[in-house]
Amino acid sequence: MSKYLQVFKISLEQEFAYRLNFIMWRIRNVLQILVVFFLWDSIFYFQGRELFGYDRDKILTYVFGLIFVKAFVLSARAQDVAGEIGRGEILNSLLKPLNYFKYWLTRDISSKSLNLFFAVIEFGFLFIILKPPFFFQTNPLIIFLFFLCILIAMFIFYLIVFLVNAIPFWAPEMSWGGHFLVTIILVEFLSGSLFPLDILPQNIQNILNLTPFPYLIYFPLQVYLGKIEGLLILKGIIISVVWVLVLWFVMNWIWKKGLKAYQAYGR
Amino acid sequence: MEDKKETKNFHLNFSAFFEKSEIIFRRLGYYFRIWFMMSKNSFLMFLNQKSVFVIFLTGKILRFLFYIFFLIFLVKGADGLAGYNTNQAIFFFLTFMVVDTTAQFLYRDVYRFRQLIVTGDFDLVLVKPVNALFRVLMGGADVADLMTLPPLYLATIYVGNLLSPTPAHVFLYLFLIIVGLMISTAFHIIVLSFGIITFEIDHSIMIYRDISNMGRFPIDIYKEPLKSALTYFVPIGIMVTLPAKALMGLVNFQSVIVAFLLSILLTIASTRFWKFALSKYSSASS
Repeated sequence: MSKYLQVFKISLEQEFAYRLNFIMWRIRNVLQILVVFFLWDSIFYFQGRELFGYDRDKILTYVFGLIFVKAFVLSARAQDVAGEIGRGEILNSLLKPLNYFKYWLTRDISSKSLNLFFAVIEFGFLFIILKPPFFFQTNPLIIFLFFLCILIAMFIFYLIVFLVNAIPFWAPEMSWGGHFLVTIILVEFLSGSLFPLDILPQNIQNILNLTPFPYLIYFPLQVYLGKIEGLLILKGIIISVVWVLVLWFVMNWIWKKGLKAYQAYGR
Repeated sequence: MEDKKETKNFHLNFSAFFEKSEIIFRRLGYYFRIWFMMSKNSFLMFLNQKSVFVIFLTGKILRFLFYIFFLIFLVKGADGLAGYNTNQAIFFFLTFMVVDTTAQFLYRDVYRFRQLIVTGDFDLVLVKPVNALFRVLMGGADVADLMTLPPLYLATIYVGNLLSPTPAHVFLYLFLIIVGLMISTAFHIIVLSFGIITFEIDHSIMIYRDISNMGRFPIDIYKEPLKSALTYFVPIGIMVTLPAKALMGLVNFQSVIVAFLLSILLTIASTRFWKFALSKYSSASS
């Protein structure tokens, strides 16, 4: 346990070693939130307007909720694994007395803690500047379920990232390409980080709900806003847990195959 | 006598002008040949890794389609966006894509500049008989963007046509697109210059991309002071919103003049900043 604690500390210090890098990354997050905020603010400009099942308070809470949920779920260091495999550097890590998955999970948690800390500051800053109406959830059970959904979402994202990381075992030149397609394009649109998915037609929503993507951002925020209740929450949690299990088994299977096929180019 | 002298002077001036023009055209031809060669090499390198090429092309097409569908659902459901209808909102997005993708196609090498700086390989660029700024700005055109440009231009023409523009509006649109590309060029030069001074280019270029992404939607959706900042300070509004508005006949002559002057000013300022940055280059890692 203590070695993972050390990994956590070193990883945190490493983030601070490249302070400008980190600050720039957070500035990028703020800019992305600003675009989404103003887009929805202009749509709900007229007071009392209800659209796609949202009023102004709820849609702007959704936007502000994105700051937190994205910091919890989408901030991760594990994307670097694909590069390690592509360059052959993973061999160094595999020789060490560490569980490779736990090692990267610890690094991810360190990245999430730091991002979350800054997300709180950004939230306060944007809240003071933009003065949005905000929907405060007061039901403790809903708040508990919201955090449970976030925890599951973190595991789903971690497993998706590791699945994409496995591509360079067979195609080392694809270190970045896989992440571009899956963890940037698909996650950005299908997770609800640009817009709440319920603006899409119902049949598209039904298909999307069977994929793991909506359970990353959209579903936890729907739970927080109280737009999903009772059995529907349970159904969503069950589907997302099933996705964790499926992705876990697939990821293990792919990684075993990948390590056997790996030729450690560049070493 | 006087007449003869004047005629001789005119003849001399004319031949000097002709000679200068010839030198400029020869120089332009020289740089065009270099650009063509560098682009060909860049395409061959990219096409050599077909799977990477397919993945990036798929990603770009998916992102484009997702945005279009999102806009259609959003604007139809909300019955307009900042006073614009669905076709107009899509046209704003397409205009943004035209400027953004054309700039990315031409200036893809900016994204690879950090490697040259941190390894010291930029020294090798500086000693070559080619303008260093030209080399690092336009040294590697992107084939994936080249593939997406023709359908993008066709889609823009098709949606633009639905807005029933007059020939004058079309001319203004094309003129302002060139102005937008000049502003985009200036920003890429500024990012390169920052790269020399701070060694930090990856995030600078991505921050520029994030700011320019604000132009995916008409800047009318933003509130003051952000709206003014996006018009005059980081003129994304002039770069992408203004051309689209020009085609819709919503732009006055003064705005066009201001946009043109601003693009000239930014181009001059960015090249001066580049020269300043070059004077700070330490060749640290070489």
